[in-house]
Amino acid sequence: MTTTAIRAGTGVTPRESGTAAPVLAFLHAYRVHDVERMVDLCTDGADFRYVPFEVRGRQRVLHGEGKVRTIGKVIWTALIDAFPDLNNDVTSLRADEHGNVVAEVSVGGTQARPFGVMACTGGHFELPHLFLFHVTGDGLIDDIVAYWDNVDWKRQLGCVEVD
Amino acid sequence: MSARSLAENFFGCLQAGEVDDVMGLMTPDATMSLVPLNRHGPMATDGAAYMRELARSFPDLVVHVRRLLVTADNTAVAEITIEGTQADDFLAVVNQEKHIELDQAWMLKVTPADQISAVTAYWDQNQLYRQLGVKRLDKITITIG
Repeated sequence: MTTTAIRAGTGVTPRESGTAAPVLAFLHAYRVHDVERMVDLCTDGADFRYVPFEVRGRQRVLHGEGKVRTIGKVIWTALIDAFPDLNNDVTSLRADEHGNVVAEVSVGGTQARPFGVMACTGGHFELPHLFLFHVTGDGLIDDIVAYWDNVDWKRQLGCVEVD
Repeated sequence: MSARSLAENFFGCLQAGEVDDVMGLMTPDATMSLVPLNRHGPMATDGAAYMRELARSFPDLVVHVRRLLVTADNTAVAEITIEGTQADDFLAVVNQEKHIELDQAWMLKVTPADQISAVTAYWDQNQLYRQLGVKRLDKITITIG
C-alpha cells in the first residue's frame, strides 16, 4: 500500500485498499449491527483487546481481553443492546505494508439500557476511538485493539463514579 | 532519521523528562492532541506544558514501547505503557504517592524532513484516576487513599 492516510469522514468515500477493505467492511458491519458479519471478517483465533474495558467485581476485575469469538462478540452484542442506535464514523485510516491498519473512529449512540456502571439516563454520547487492526494475507482480521476514554463517555451519560 | 527512530527518540525524551529535547524533534508549528484531556493545541505551549507537568509529577517515569509501526504516510503509531510514582499534583489530582501503570496509544506524524508535525495520544483517563485514588469524576481533587 502506498497511499497516505485515508480520510473517510462523512460524505467522503474512502480509498479502499487490500489491507483497509476488511477493516472498513468490519466497521460497516458494526454500523449496521451485524455482529455475525463482524466475526466472520476475523480469523477463528483472532485476538481482541479493548484496553479501557474493565468490569470490576468484588473479587476480581474482568478485562476486555481475549478472543474475538468469545469476549469480543459478547461486548459488541452488549453495546448494541444498550445503545440500539450505536453508530460509527471513520475519521482517518492508515495502513502499513505488514497488514497493520490504524483507524480513528467516532463511536456514538443513545443509551436505552444500563451498561456497566453507567445507569440508563437516555443520554447520547459521541466518543473518539483509536482502533489498531492486523489483517492477514488472506484478508481476515486477526487482531483488534481499541483505546478510548471512559471519563468522557461517563460524563456524557451523566455518570460520575470512577468505578 | 527514520520515523521509527524519531519515535523511539521521542519516547526516550518523554521518559527522561527532557521536554526541550522533545521540542527539538518537532516542527515549529507542530500540534498536540491529548484526546482524553480534550487538549488540542500547539506543541510548543500546550504539549510542552503537559509534558513538563508529567515529568514533574512522575520523576521516575518509565515509558515502555510495547509496539511501534509506521504507516504509509510516515506516521509512527505506538502502543506504550507509562509507569511511575506520583510525586506532585497531576492534572488537578492531589499527590498521594500512588504508583501508576497506564496503557496508551500515540500517533506521531513525521514530515519528509524527519520532524514530527503532529502528535495525538489516546488513553483511558478513568484508569488513571482510579490508580491515583480518585473516586468521583465531579470531585477530581478529593481523593481517598
